[in-house]
Amino acid sequence: MNAIAVTNLNKAFGSKQALNNVTFEIEAGKTTALIGPNGAGKTTLFSVLCGYLQPDSGEVNILGHKLGDPALFNKLSALPQDAQLDPRFSLEKQLCFYARLQGMNKHAALKDTHRVLELVGLKDNFNSRVSELSHGMRKRVCIAQALINSPKVILLDEATAGLDPVNAREIRNIIADLSDQATFILSSHDLSELERLCNHILYLEQGVLTQHQTYNYQGEHNYITLQLCKEPLQAIDHLKQLQDVTHVQQTQSKEFVIEYKADNRQFDIQLLKHCHKLKWQYRQLINGNTLENELFNKE
Amino acid sequence: MSVFRVWQITQFELTRLFATKRGLLALAAFSMVWIMILKYPISHAVPFLNSPEFSDIAQQIAGAIGLRELVKWPEAEFAIFWIISLYSYPIFSLFISSDQTVGDRERGTLRFLSLRCTRDEILIGRFLGQLLIIILLIAATSIATLAMMTYRDTSLAPNGFFLAVKLSMQLAIIAMPFIALMAFLNIVTSSSRLSIVTAILLFTLGSGLITYLASYVSFIHALFYLFPGEQITSIAGQTETKFFDWLLPLIQSIAWLTLAATVLRKRAL
Repeated sequence: MNAIAVTNLNKAFGSKQALNNVTFEIEAGKTTALIGPNGAGKTTLFSVLCGYLQPDSGEVNILGHKLGDPALFNKLSALPQDAQLDPRFSLEKQLCFYARLQGMNKHAALKDTHRVLELVGLKDNFNSRVSELSHGMRKRVCIAQALINSPKVILLDEATAGLDPVNAREIRNIIADLSDQATFILSSHDLSELERLCNHILYLEQGVLTQHQTYNYQGEHNYITLQLCKEPLQAIDHLKQLQDVTHVQQTQSKEFVIEYKADNRQFDIQLLKHCHKLKWQYRQLINGNTLENELFNKE
Repeated sequence: MSVFRVWQITQFELTRLFATKRGLLALAAFSMVWIMILKYPISHAVPFLNSPEFSDIAQQIAGAIGLRELVKWPEAEFAIFWIISLYSYPIFSLFISSDQTVGDRERGTLRFLSLRCTRDEILIGRFLGQLLIIILLIAATSIATLAMMTYRDTSLAPNGFFLAVKLSMQLAIIAMPFIALMAFLNIVTSSSRLSIVTAILLFTLGSGLITYLASYVSFIHALFYLFPGEQITSIAGQTETKFFDWLLPLIQSIAWLTLAATVLRKRAL
């Protein structure tokens, strides 16, 4: 079943076409990354999916319901970019209010408020006002509100932007833990983060969905990404000497993507032995192509 | 539209006044102003209105401005309360309801809400919340006036009670379109302050412009029916009031809220 189905979506701001005939489907349970440069239309797409913006044309269907259908109130949640809770009220009061709007009774609303605040590491701040919190804590509260009553589809726009590494890791863990219970759509500029969490990519550029594919490394050829500590001389030539290598590409300084025949099951061991023989110290060996290379270094 | 969700939003609005520092400060200022009104204009005017030496003069002056009936009320405190409230509550309503949705919209809080309820529910819930606040404040001041009058003459208490209920309901109806107007201005402006400024310009420049244009094209005068409080002068005397005078604020409220809902449904959050 599709969690989200978008067909021929268009949205323009004056002469700028923010979304140009965007069409895609997201299967329920898949964690999807929405990637693109600044001004590509990511936030516009998020805003349309959440009902904040009306599209000029096209259709959006979420969990079998059209946009704005009250049936979605308890199933779709989001972390909108730059949105803040009311600074005059305590976290508990506001999140309880949201839970009540989602149809929970007072007791259940309070219980769920405590649950989501604990999830984002704010269990000691139930009675704090938003105005008393740091930027990172505010962000975590906003993530907490998106988790109230365990919605089925959760859209997070730049969820970890502005968070310290420890809290960003915590948020990533929460997303990973909940990813089998909900369909997540994440927008971020941190490709390594998306690589860890997502198995589905939407790539937007100038309002056009240029890639819409499941991110995997299966096929006749496999890839290995080798990152070295130092830049060796004639590295590409050395790597091409390995058995079953079909192509080697240097994607950046000290980083090589090696394409090899998929039936060679021992290729990684051969590669490590080869590095050892040449006295190359490796930093990282990635089974597959990195998301960054997949998107920006295609030959 | 879900009545449950509208009621949740309305209840939350009440806490804005009674459970936030800003709300409590506004409430304290309101109370101080009304203590002054009760202590000076109301308590000082009553002996003057009831005195045989001055009652004739008072009736002549009141008659000249269409308030003869009020001067005849034995519940003189309520006569003064009515005149002061009739003009102060609409203005107070404009100020107190100047941030129904605009602050939340600018901050992005409406985005959280709109994932949990419809935009119509937010608009109606906030409007009803503000109306409930005004009704509570009107009720509180009329009870204070009733207490003051009962202290002067206990025999007036039963009639005074019914008068307090009647005047409170009438004042709430009068305030209603002012709150609805602010609901609309909140949708089309970018801050509560700008909403107030726009309302002031509407009541001054706007009405001046309509008066000027109506001198050339008479039907333009009908635009005054869009202005909340249009009927205030004709109901001030508490004489035989036309049914239309009480229907008008209700129609205005529905019209402004419908307009606000139409714009809010289409605008980006």
